[in-house]
Amino acid sequence: MGWVARRIGVSLLLVWIVASIVFLAIHLVPGDPAELLLSSGGVAPDPGAVAELRDRLGLNLPLAQQYVSFLSGVVRGDLGTSLVDEYPVLDEILLRLPRTLELIAAGALIAVLVGIPAGTLAALRRGSAFDRIASGVAALLLAVPVFVVGTLLVLVFAQILRWMPAGGYVPLAEDPWRHLTLLALPALAIGKGLVAVVFRMTRASVLDALSRDFVRTARAKGLSPSRVLMRHVVRNALIPVLTVLALHMGTLLGGTVLVEYVFNWPGLSTPLLRAVEARDYPMVVGIVLTISALFVLLNLVMDLVYAALDPRIRHA
Amino acid sequence: MRPGTKRLWVPAGLVALIVLLALLAPLLGLPDPVRQDVAQRLAGPMPGSPLGRDEFGRDVLSRLIWGARSSLAVAFASASIACLFGTILGLLGGWFRGLGEFLAVRSMDIVLCFPPVLLALLVVTLLGPGAGTLIMVLSVLYLPGFVRVTYAEVLSARSHDYVEAVRALGASAGRILTRTVLPNVAGPILVQFSLAVASAVVLESGLSFLGLGVVPPAPSWGLMIRGARATMAQAPLLLLWPCLALTLTILAMNLLCDALRDAMDPRTATARPRLRLLDRVLPGLVPPAPNAEAPEAVLEVGGLTVEIATPRGPIRPVEDVSFAVHAGETLAIVGESGSGKSVTATSVMGLLPPAARPVAGAAWLEGRDLLRLPEPELRRLRGGAMAMVFQDPMSSLNPVHRVGDQIAEAIRAHRRGVTQAQAWSRAVDLLRRVGIADPERRARAYPHEMSGGMRQRVMIAMAVANEPKLLIADEPTTALDVTVQAQILDLLAELRRETGMALIFITHSLGVVAEIADRVVVMYAGQVVEQGSVPEVFGAPLHPYTRALLAAVPDGDTAPAGIPGVVPQPHAFPVGCRFAARCPHAKPACEAAPPALEGAGEGRTVRCIRWAEIGAKKAEAVA
Amino acid sequence: MSAATPPLVEATGLSKTFAARGVFRRGRPVQAVRRVDVSVARGEALGVVGESGSGKSTLGRLLLGLQPATEGVIRFDGQPLDATMPKAEWRRLRRRMQIVFQDPFGSLDPRRRIGAQIADGLAIHDLVPAAERAGRVEELLRQVGLDPTHAQRFPHEFSGGQRQRIGIARALATGPEFLVADEPVSALDVSIQAQVVALMDDLRRRLGLALLFISHDLPVVRHLCDRVVVMYLGRVMEEGSAEELFRAPAHPYTRALLSATPRIDPARRAKRILLQGEPPSPSNPPSGCAFRTRCAHATAACAEVVPELRPLGGERRVACIRAEEIA
Repeated sequence: MGWVARRIGVSLLLVWIVASIVFLAIHLVPGDPAELLLSSGGVAPDPGAVAELRDRLGLNLPLAQQYVSFLSGVVRGDLGTSLVDEYPVLDEILLRLPRTLELIAAGALIAVLVGIPAGTLAALRRGSAFDRIASGVAALLLAVPVFVVGTLLVLVFAQILRWMPAGGYVPLAEDPWRHLTLLALPALAIGKGLVAVVFRMTRASVLDALSRDFVRTARAKGLSPSRVLMRHVVRNALIPVLTVLALHMGTLLGGTVLVEYVFNWPGLSTPLLRAVEARDYPMVVGIVLTISALFVLLNLVMDLVYAALDPRIRHA
Repeated sequence: MRPGTKRLWVPAGLVALIVLLALLAPLLGLPDPVRQDVAQRLAGPMPGSPLGRDEFGRDVLSRLIWGARSSLAVAFASASIACLFGTILGLLGGWFRGLGEFLAVRSMDIVLCFPPVLLALLVVTLLGPGAGTLIMVLSVLYLPGFVRVTYAEVLSARSHDYVEAVRALGASAGRILTRTVLPNVAGPILVQFSLAVASAVVLESGLSFLGLGVVPPAPSWGLMIRGARATMAQAPLLLLWPCLALTLTILAMNLLCDALRDAMDPRTATARPRLRLLDRVLPGLVPPAPNAEAPEAVLEVGGLTVEIATPRGPIRPVEDVSFAVHAGETLAIVGESGSGKSVTATSVMGLLPPAARPVAGAAWLEGRDLLRLPEPELRRLRGGAMAMVFQDPMSSLNPVHRVGDQIAEAIRAHRRGVTQAQAWSRAVDLLRRVGIADPERRARAYPHEMSGGMRQRVMIAMAVANEPKLLIADEPTTALDVTVQAQILDLLAELRRETGMALIFITHSLGVVAEIADRVVVMYAGQVVEQGSVPEVFGAPLHPYTRALLAAVPDGDTAPAGIPGVVPQPHAFPVGCRFAARCPHAKPACEAAPPALEGAGEGRTVRCIRWAEIGAKKAEAVA
Repeated sequence: MSAATPPLVEATGLSKTFAARGVFRRGRPVQAVRRVDVSVARGEALGVVGESGSGKSTLGRLLLGLQPATEGVIRFDGQPLDATMPKAEWRRLRRRMQIVFQDPFGSLDPRRRIGAQIADGLAIHDLVPAAERAGRVEELLRQVGLDPTHAQRFPHEFSGGQRQRIGIARALATGPEFLVADEPVSALDVSIQAQVVALMDDLRRRLGLALLFISHDLPVVRHLCDRVVVMYLGRVMEEGSAEELFRAPAHPYTRALLSATPRIDPARRAKRILLQGEPPSPSNPPSGCAFRTRCAHATAACAEVVPELRPLGGERRVACIRAEEIA
């Protein structure tokens, strides 16, 4: 199990590097954060206010000391408070992160449920009408940007057909049905790209697995087609599909920003966008750090799953 | 031009058109895209404005075209920067290895830790929105892609013998990188470039949509969608135009990427077509060769002809092949590459690729014609009465299952009511039988944990699991070392003696034939040219090809003699004797008509019109 | 022959250890070549035989300086080869030694015309003025039995045997004195194999090349080579003239190898000595004699010391403490 320990070590190292980069980026970029924060509309800020803010942010301390206190804060789970409303950054993240994760999970679920069966079928019927149509749809889905899909979904289902609410959020505990109807459109928007990616990857890797020698062996053993398909083709084909899914789910951690914005879903993106506009550094840093750490964690989990699925990896 | 390039033209033309429109925007005489005219707010199509006006009364068509300009400028600029630096980093990291490699590749892992949109937002927070910021962020974001692609390609190029050859010639690192490595990695980099441009267009429009990209009032598709969203109840079309433009652009770019990738992929360009797709039921067959008397042989193949549909028309890699193998007998099928020996075996097993089908002949096993058997019945025979061992034991075993499970699976496929536990213990017995030490532990191993010889033993255990009457071994020792080959040959001979099964052994090595086989079928260019008992055929070959083949093997004291020329390709088989072009005894008559397979004594056949004549001459020369 | 003329290439105490891969360098290093002494004289063909993992290919690359040796000294025409040598010096030596590869498909750049690839060596060392290069390429093509008008074709237009000829032409372009052929015929069909072997034999005699012929095919080596070195797990087991070594192998491994080789003529078939198991991993070789774990004659003493490669009369040398006993 040395491999697992090593892999976890690498992940921790990456999170540390990411945190350091974020810290350095803010402190080494030309311009004084305090001054930038207070300047608005090209008006030079009041020097007294700047000095006070510098003091409050600890910007007058030596860089090394700031770095140490930043890191120790991160380790203790203290990400500071928002410059705008002095609300603790961590609390804000803990409140909103589950909602963002729910969106991603719903999107991934759609992608797996639609993409894998469709991809397998398209590979088995290569060149058939189904294959062509599904591949065409996938190409189209990949091409439409997520915010375009979101906006068009709102236009069609909320504005024109009036079947669904345009956006918003109701906690699950409060009204489960309404929660789900509000989830449906954003989840579809998130899932659209994933479905296409999973479909394409499944199709390609099933085709690849079909041409392998061990599939011929399985057939030479006299196995039934369904057993050949499930145990030898799909089982082997799923490994690359999972990797790609993990990779794209990671990208989505950031990509939900657009969807949440379009559907007014109160996930992490609302405070993030607000913080970016207001240059609320602690909030931006906290959110970027959390999501990046999650991203690294996701990759770690996927590597472990990968190892469980492919015995060759464990020894590599 | 390769056929794959045809698919390139449509998307390439579309992308070129979009780029051209964007470039020529100032020359098209369009209205000023930023001039507001509140009186014409949300106006429909009108003269001079075919797509109407937006929420500030600006001309929509003009904004669309100018928007393309800003989107593409940002996308191309960032992709080019990333491409330049990424390629250099990847080349250096891949070629010089060591610390540079570590830094180049690992630093990219760190960039990949940030979800793209997030990194962009972080930078926008620091530097403020604008095209410059966008270009910087996007270049950093796409850098890892180029580094990784280049690095991987350089590593794979390094391992190619042709790069090693240039190194051995004494070329400098610079010459090798620019002359040999770069042209070979250019394809993947080009694909990566088009991917980066397409994805940059998406990100740019997304950020602009959030109000964090291109700064208004400059036209941008993202900004147009953002603006139209506010008025979508009144003017839904305003939303549609930029959405369409954006989607169409990205679609064209994606299709271009796909087509480029296909065109660049050396596998699609040079490699042989991938065969062996999952079996669909074999197509209906032509009238069978009737076989009146009950076949006493375990397998009797008569007049087998296989046809493969290729883009250049149908070819026949196997034509009129007949042979029989009896219980307890070992029949070797020997031939060089392209002789059709493996196709013969796979058609008997019913494992031909979908593009290939037997068009004539019959293969009788236990009174049933395998070529006309429906797939479900054939499946019961495969792995049951007839089994097969393949050449490459590594790729022929499934890497993700334990070998014990793979053997147990073969048992349970043919025996109803056998539990997994029973099948497993039988698998362990079989592993012991094929000479694997500590079979209980080894059954739990995965294929990659075993050596090549052991894997082949596992394949054999799997094949004999259900006591087959016929075992076909297709070059089972070709991938093995000679001392291990000797072990496997002994094992097969022993199993055959013990079980009395018939063994068909396919090989290109005449030495192996002499060691293991009772009778031999010599194949050349899809046909049987000679057949008989091993001592007779090797001791007194009748066909000129057999004789030449024996002379080519370095075995005796005389120097081996090569056969001039090459084996003809299946689409260019000559009408007459297929060996005539390389045969020292060829006469015009040989090329006129296809020679028949003639009987030449007890159990002996030969496909040569001059065999008797040549044999007599030889005898004379000896005397 | 080796006594009369000084060797062109001579290596003493040559070792190569590959470090384990990965950032953390876990796992054992692989000892590919271990304390090998070998020499090739001008005009001599030395065969190196062994199974996979015997280190025979690594030995070839070490002698050409394509990989740095971990230990040991290589002399080329009396001059020691050294990684610290000036680059210009290296390039001058490169011209005099060349390699032919096993894989006829991977050894030619698929994107360049074969004429250009053959001319590479001429251009790098500036051997022939640019205007005369085409003529020289045609001459080389003719020399290896190919149509000189084919210089403008791409590799995929040739068959395996023809590509191997192109590879040989490329190696000959710089006028080398020493040629390493790494399994040059293993990927070819029997009838083509014999053609290429005959070509190599002919070229080496005509050009007076020192040839290091690496192969696992003993009968081919027997026909082509003057002397033979048998390797197992990175060590030399036996060395001697091809004639003697094949007639009366002294080392148990050589015997096993010869007896395992399938023969067509039943009269020539030796009594089969069936080796148990497969070669141990080069990263974890047995103590003492590398072959003892599979040797029928192994005794306790075999595990204790690494048997020295000792003379056994004439050119013959063997690394087995019981060679005389079991003869």
